[in-house]
Amino acid sequence: MAWAKQGHDAAFRELVRRYERPVFSLLYRMVRDRALAEDLAQETFIKVLNGIKSYRPEFKFSSWIFKIANNAAIDHLRRKSIDTLSLDGAPSAETPDQMRATQLQVGDRAESPLDEVENRELGTAIERAIARLRPEYRSCILLRHVEGYSYEEIATTLELPLGTVKTYIHRARNELRGYLEGRRE
Amino acid sequence: MTDLAMHLTTDEIELWAQGLLPATRAMHLADCSLCRVEADRERKVILELVQLPQFSPRAGFADRVMAQVKVPTPSGDWTP
Repeated sequence: MAWAKQGHDAAFRELVRRYERPVFSLLYRMVRDRALAEDLAQETFIKVLNGIKSYRPEFKFSSWIFKIANNAAIDHLRRKSIDTLSLDGAPSAETPDQMRATQLQVGDRAESPLDEVENRELGTAIERAIARLRPEYRSCILLRHVEGYSYEEIATTLELPLGTVKTYIHRARNELRGYLEGRRE
Repeated sequence: MTDLAMHLTTDEIELWAQGLLPATRAMHLADCSLCRVEADRERKVILELVQLPQFSPRAGFADRVMAQVKVPTPSGDWTP
């Protein structure tokens, strides 16, 4: 980290090498789109490395980078949910005819090779169950059980009260159990 | 109620699933089918989660990042 703060290209590359998989995995599971997850991961690293001088060493570097990655994912998902509403037509549309005229037409689309990869990678029951969780639950449960963070570390990383983190994780596990047991029955 | 008779809390069940619950509390599971069923269900989910694989971005990811990072030089200047 000290080397990276002094601006050594090799140290920057080492940070990318060390964190690209965990950061990309978190984002991929949050947005479930490889290309988009990669864009968000790239955006995260650029923000982190360009702002390296503002890094405060009393915090874990991984917490800082996960915080930025998670914010990028949540921002994207919020924007997407607004876009999804617009599928029903332009906000200015007032009559059914206007709504129909401004509706986005979503037709069947052939599965691309990238879709196939995504289906293979994220098609297991547990991955599909994670996808059904609220984004806030999803990031907490992934940091807890995939990254092995403590509740306190998650609270610091996501800037949430400790009690909220515990509640999210317990609810997330309950929901996951429900989805998975529903599958088994 | 003694330590042994008290049902496990959610936090304790998580600790048990990770093999971290003190034996004095874990012994409760031998006598309590309610907690045992709950703990087994919890362990299955946790096990599935911890076994999730990590994914990699496409090759050349670091190069694509570094192309857009301004690396400060020791003099304080920035190089693209």
